[in-house]
Parts: sequence; C-alpha cells; structure tokens
Amino acid sequence: MKIADLRALLGSRFLDLLTIGVVAAFLFPYIFMVSSAFKTRLDTFAYPPIFFQFTPTLEHFENIFSDMNILFYMKNSTIIAVFSTLLTILISIPATYSFARFRFRYKEGVAYGFLFLQMVPGISIVFALFFIAGSLNLSDTHIFLIVVYLLWNVPYAIWMMRGFVEGIPVELEESAMVDGASRFKAFRLITLPLMAGGIAATAILIFIGVWNEFSVAFFLTSTEARTMPTTIAFFMTHSGIKWGPMFATATIGTLPVVIFALLVRRYFISALTFGAVKG
Amino acid sequence: MATDRKLRRRRPPWLAPALLIVPAFLVVFALAAYSAVWLLQLSMVKLTFGDPFRTAEWAGLDNYQWLLFNEFTTFWASLRVTAVYVVGTLVPELIIGFLIALLLNRKMRGNSIFTAALIIPMVLMPSMVGMVGRLYFSPYGLINYFTESLTGIRHNWYGADLALWAAVLVDIWEWTPFFILILLAGLQTLPVEPFEAARVDGASRLQSFIHLTLPLMLPLVMTTLILRLMDVLRLFDVIFVMFGGGPGTATTTLPLYIYRTTLIQRDVGRGSAASVMLIIIIVSLTVILIKLRDRIRYEA
Repeated sequence: MKIADLRALLGSRFLDLLTIGVVAAFLFPYIFMVSSAFKTRLDTFAYPPIFFQFTPTLEHFENIFSDMNILFYMKNSTIIAVFSTLLTILISIPATYSFARFRFRYKEGVAYGFLFLQMVPGISIVFALFFIAGSLNLSDTHIFLIVVYLLWNVPYAIWMMRGFVEGIPVELEESAMVDGASRFKAFRLITLPLMAGGIAATAILIFIGVWNEFSVAFFLTSTEARTMPTTIAFFMTHSGIKWGPMFATATIGTLPVVIFALLVRRYFISALTFGAVKG
Repeated sequence: MATDRKLRRRRPPWLAPALLIVPAFLVVFALAAYSAVWLLQLSMVKLTFGDPFRTAEWAGLDNYQWLLFNEFTTFWASLRVTAVYVVGTLVPELIIGFLIALLLNRKMRGNSIFTAALIIPMVLMPSMVGMVGRLYFSPYGLINYFTESLTGIRHNWYGADLALWAAVLVDIWEWTPFFILILLAGLQTLPVEPFEAARVDGASRLQSFIHLTLPLMLPLVMTTLILRLMDVLRLFDVIFVMFGGGPGTATTTLPLYIYRTTLIQRDVGRGSAASVMLIIIIVSLTVILIKLRDRIRYEA
C-alpha cells in the first residue's frame, strides 16, 4: 500500500524507529508519573525536570500508608468494584444468552434501549442519585454505589458478551439437546465453559471501569465509602498540593489496572467498541 | 386429546427469552426510571443545594426557560466551550490515530508489545491523570520544558486562553490510542482483492489509498467517532480535577456547567435542567450519527 512507497523512499529502518518513538511518547507521561512517586519534593519540582538521575525515596509510600490510610480507600474500592462486577455478570449472563440465542419481537429495540441507558452521563444523574440516596438513608454506603453502577455495567456486559456467545456455534448446544440434555444443561456444559474467557475479560473490564470511576463516587461518598480515585481531594491542602503522596497513590492505584488491562489486551478492541469491532 | 393437552401445556415461545432478560431489564430500567423521575422533578423546582427536598418550590419549566433564553444565562457559552473541546479533541485524535494506525500496519517485530503499550493511557484513573496533567502543565512543568526547549517559549497553560487546550492535549494523549487500536484492527481486516485489482489496473498507492482504503474504512471511522463523541461529551473527571471549569468559564464544558450550577451556585433546579439537556444532546446526536453511518454503510 502507500506505506510501501514511503518505505522504499526512506527505508523501513526509519519507520521502525518512528514507531518506537511514537509508542514511547505515549508511554512517557506514565513512566514519568511512576518515577515521580519515588522523587523527593525538591526533585519533583526541579527545572529542567529530572528524568533519571535522582536518588529514589520511599517516603511518599510510607506517608500514604501511615498518615493517609490509603489501605482503607483501596478496601472500599475493592469491595465496590468486586461486588458490582459479580452482580453485573450474574444478572447479565441470562440476558446475554437470550439476546444471542433466541429470536423474539423487539429484540434489537430492547438491546438498543440498554445501550442508550449506558450512554447516560454519570454527572447528569449524580445529583438526582444524591437525593435518592438521602431519601433511602443510603448516603455514603458501599451498597448504593454497587447498585448504581449496575445501570452502566449491565448494558455494557450484555453488549460485550453477546458477541462472545454468538461466536460459539449453536450446533454444539443443539447436538447436546438431541442427546437428551435440557437447554439449561446444554448451556451449562457446553456454552458456558466456551464463553468463560469472554466472561473473565468482561469482568476485568468492568472492574477497571468501576475502580477508576470518579464522577459518581465523588459526589455520593464522603467518609465511609470513599474510593481511591476520589482521594485526590486530600492532596489539595491549604499549604499547596501534596505532589509526592499524590504520585504514590496514582502509582499504586493504576498498577492493578494496568496489569489487568494487559492480561485482557486481546479483548481490548471489543471492549472499547461494545463488541462492535473484533480485534 | 393427549397431544392436545400437551400442546396447551407447552410454554409460549417468548416466555424463555423474556424470563432470561427480566432480571437485567428490571435492574437497569428501574434504576434509570427512578433516576429519571427524580431528575425531571428536580429540574422543575427551585431548590438550594443543601436544603432538604421538602423546601423545594414548584417552578415548572422556568429553569429550562432561564437556561435557554435569559440574558444572563451562561448555558450557551458552555455549549460553545463543549463544541470547541469536542472538535479540538476528536479531529486531531482521528487524524493522528489514523496515521499511527497506518504506521503500525506493517509486519514488524514487537508489534504486539506496541499495541499493549498503547492500552495503558486509556486505563489510568482519570482523576489521577487530571492531577498529573495539572503538574505537567504548570509554569515550570514538563510541557513547558519541552516547549521551551523546542521554541524557546513557556506558555501559561493555567490562563484562560490555554487552559481548555491543556485539557484537550491530555485527552489527545489518553485517547488517540483508541483510534489507533480500532483503526488498526480495521486496516488488518480490509479485503485484499480490491487492492490487487487496483494494482493490476495501474493505480498508484496514493490513488488506492484515497479510492479504496478511505471509503472502506469510513463506516469504522464513523463508529469510532460516535463512541468517542459520547465519551467526550460526558467527560467530567479530568477537566474537573485539572481546572474545575475555570479560570472564569474557560473550561466549563456542559458536564462542568452542571456541577458548577448545582454545587457552586447551589441551584439544583437549573443544574438538573442542564443535566436533562445534556442527556437529550447526547442521545439525539448519537441517534442521528448512527443513522448517518448506517446509510453510508448501506451505500458502500
């Protein structure tokens, strides 16, 4: 294609280097963020910036674990993300199967209905949710966030997993049913194991979404159920922003997500497009 | 008789699929309906944030009317900021993303490592990205170090002229990989035959790019743009953390406008009315664009 012209012109070495440079440019801000977590305040503010020549310090990590009690917020985030993810998957699997395997009237209409609800911006209903939580005496609780996130997670899971089920030949189930298995048994013994990878990937992506979620969690929690992403408010103090602890928290908060994301990277393109595009 | 009874006892065909959907349907639509009723109600009252709901006074459509037509309304200004932000992010992300996807669409060792690396910016906590962005764009931050090295100028990214563009640059960093990865997947699944036919007919590579690659990729480009548009229109966290909508109203996109009206001006009614508008804008834009995309796909 047209790339080949360029290659002939400039040599593929150049394009290789360019590719490496481009990818490095996208990674650089993250690497610099992680490295800043190990810098003293003086080194963080050095101008010109210090990239590699500094003596690493763990003081900020000690600080967030001892003074800021970051473990408490990690625990909250974990509880909310794990339970919301589990509930989502549990509720979504039957619906997914229904959309993928049955034919019924208004099917696509209902499926798009789910998708449109998924599009509702968190910020646009968070203050209504704030009043709802108050009226139900559920302000600042884990359970309220766990349930509220279902609004976005369930449609997402259905759209994601539907593609995985549709990718499994229906004949496999049918042959089991010919052999006398009930439809449920055929699903449990044949389709479910085959879609396990897709379920795991969907679960991880939902976990990442909830773990990172800010707009809803920030306005619906204060002390008891506060999550990791909303701790940023603690770094803005009257004496300025506490950059070191902020970088340390960001490093710890993003580490599990980056690992998870790389684990499911081959599902990532489906994940980004609600299953509309296969990678 | 026996078969008759058997037939009558058979469950109707819609029952199984319906029952399977019921849990998901109930949860999602109940949550949505409950929120919608509250949101609509809040958008039609006069209520100060922090006061109990029973102090609310009925206001009908006054809040909407104020937002749209009052001479002091800043709603339209925030729509303008939103439009600048949307165009400012999506256009460069599409162009740069397409170019990098073309660059990556070659046989090369380590390609899977590159695509894995490109995932990272998209999965980082947006609130932390916002904080980090704040430091990188500070007067003596990373960005100014690079601009000063290259052009000799340090910019005031915190000022009203550039704050929105700082937020735009952060989004471009975070989400250009979205275009790269999806368009790369599209490029890799393009049919081979038309390109071979074009080569046989003596078309140059530029010609086959313009007349084959671009039209074949158009539906996917549209899909990608629609998905990103939905996200950019509702983006709150990064801008909130970086600038909180300021200085002045320089970074007050519609989501920030909702926040400021509700929590800073403590006007729940107008904030909720603006929320309803945001939902209407997102849903209607998406419906129109999906229709447009399907027409393009149909014609192609």
